[in-house]
Amino acid sequence: MKPLVRSVTGVLLTLAMLGAGAQTGAPIVIGASIPLTGGVSTFGQHSRWGSELAIAEANAAGGVLGRKLEIDYQDNRCNPAEAVKSVTQMIAEKKYVAIFDGLCSSAALAIMPLVERAEIPFVVANASATAIAEKSGVGGNKWTFKVNPTDASMLDALVAWLDKEGKAANIAFLGEDTDFGRAGVAGLEAALKKRNRALASVDFYQKGTADFTTVFAKIKAKKPGLLALYAIDADFQNAMRQWYAAGGGIPLTGRVLVDQVPKAIMASGFLDGTTSVQPYDPSIDTPGNKAFVEAFQKRFQTAPILVSFEAYETTRVLIDAIKRAGSTEPAAIRDALTKTKYPSLLGNTIDFDDHNLAHNNAVILGIRGGKVVVLGFSKT
Amino acid sequence: MDAAFFVQLLLNGLVLGVIYALIAMGLSLIFGVLEIINFAHGEFYMLGAMAAYFAVERVHLGYWATIVAVTIGALCVGWVLYEALLARLAGSGFERSILVTLGLSMVLQNGAVFLFTTTPKMLQTADTYSNVTIGGARIALLRVLALGIGVVAYAGLHLMLHRTQVGRAMRGVAQNRDAALMVGIDPRAVSRLAVVVGIGLSGLAGAALAPVYAVHPLMGFAFVFKAFAIIIIGGLGNVSGAAVAALALGVLESVMGGFLPQVVVDALSFGAMILVLLVRPQGLFGRGVRV
Repeated sequence: MKPLVRSVTGVLLTLAMLGAGAQTGAPIVIGASIPLTGGVSTFGQHSRWGSELAIAEANAAGGVLGRKLEIDYQDNRCNPAEAVKSVTQMIAEKKYVAIFDGLCSSAALAIMPLVERAEIPFVVANASATAIAEKSGVGGNKWTFKVNPTDASMLDALVAWLDKEGKAANIAFLGEDTDFGRAGVAGLEAALKKRNRALASVDFYQKGTADFTTVFAKIKAKKPGLLALYAIDADFQNAMRQWYAAGGGIPLTGRVLVDQVPKAIMASGFLDGTTSVQPYDPSIDTPGNKAFVEAFQKRFQTAPILVSFEAYETTRVLIDAIKRAGSTEPAAIRDALTKTKYPSLLGNTIDFDDHNLAHNNAVILGIRGGKVVVLGFSKT
Repeated sequence: MDAAFFVQLLLNGLVLGVIYALIAMGLSLIFGVLEIINFAHGEFYMLGAMAAYFAVERVHLGYWATIVAVTIGALCVGWVLYEALLARLAGSGFERSILVTLGLSMVLQNGAVFLFTTTPKMLQTADTYSNVTIGGARIALLRVLALGIGVVAYAGLHLMLHRTQVGRAMRGVAQNRDAALMVGIDPRAVSRLAVVVGIGLSGLAGAALAPVYAVHPLMGFAFVFKAFAIIIIGGLGNVSGAAVAALALGVLESVMGGFLPQVVVDALSFGAMILVLLVRPQGLFGRGVRV
């Protein structure tokens, strides 16, 4: 009997080891809800590319906890209802160790209650609404972490810059009527109020608006010193064409997507004098950023934009947290995220405050002589 | 108030009004002759814009060649639409035509999403960044061209309806289909022509506006609901009424938009529609039969 017992035990042990090996080999899967179609799909594509690059680099270095990483993308069309649908489906599948981004502020805000109920970490890379951080961390949603700066902090940095240059008086605002646009106006108003100033005028437009001619005529008639523009993707392209046709004459500010201005308009010098604040610019001169830009261009045959960088860095922060957690249990990953001390490619250290918000630098960008230039940095 | 500002608002409004008219006239014509409200009208405008985008960006046709080609294509599509679908609705209830055209709208829109994705496309031409200055007011050249196309389209349609035999036949069928049949007018042929011209106009609108606005499968939605409001304000089936109402609405929206929040301006067309329905249900210019 003894040989039989030994044989059976040996077979059982072998099967157990094979099973453990198979489990160890199973990839670690992250779920991502981003706009792959719709008016913001260009941003969604860049978010996807940024996170894919981070995942590919991590896998090339041997993966995490002995396992490969994967990221599954679901389309939320920058729509809160679609975001809820996609994340609900992901949570039901019970295979994702964390949820990534949302991208649009409205979508991210809609996802937050879901991840809190399901107790899965949610890392926000691009959505900039201040409310995301206000509702996270202490006294709020302990499962949401925001890596990119809030609108409020970036706009405070921008207004400080403009104030220093004597340009913070008489700013008009035009933005999309969404959480992104509303966060923009709230951030600007708060930053100006600190300096005993106010916005000269506030106008909103419906997302997807084709015709800006009327509102541009209205704004121009008021002769503000600056126009803070909160428009993205197709709306931004429509607005740029129509602003050019309207003759401009007022420098732009706010979160102007200086890297997406049509080349013909940029080169004409029409937008010279524009001062924008963003979390990133491809021209930032640090070794880490240069390596990122080169790797991104090589892989995707196009230059990165701020969304690509934010997705890339946030994915690396998440991967770092999984490593330090030593486990794929969501609670362990969340605890590891709270203790993050990650060296950002921009030169700072990313760590989260008690509202689970990181405070990386904001970049003050300008358009001068038909080119985008980095005017300076500001801690957020 | 600065005079230059007012002139700019008026000019913007004029262009906007002609844009609305381009889309609304075809809708009004189809209703006038067939008594069918084509809920898919915005999708034909969108398809016209899509076709223009691919003609310029992929086939490298010039601006005017694209306008002509897309309009001819839209005329053909109108012929197919009538023979395949709308001819079968003749004489059936109003509700059936609403449901059928609504369904067609969904099919076309979702088909376009599937084929082209919802990613907006920006059509570039040599004149994309060219502008015209008129007395201190500035306007994009392509918008001026769209204005010109709209005016020519209206003039052509008006001439056809009032100076040609076939136009008289259309007005006859719109007035009384049976009586028209009795005097030897073929209602089916006339109805087919009305649909061909109506869809042709929406395709022309799409081609003319593709260089002005971002092109995507959902672009017809916003304009077509404005077009519905316009044809109700102008008088159902009254093409000239629709054109005047479109122009008036464009100017009103632009002038009001110069002083009021955009959200208020967006509600203007539908507020006006409700007011007209309550006070003068036949429309400001009467119901057409007066195509």
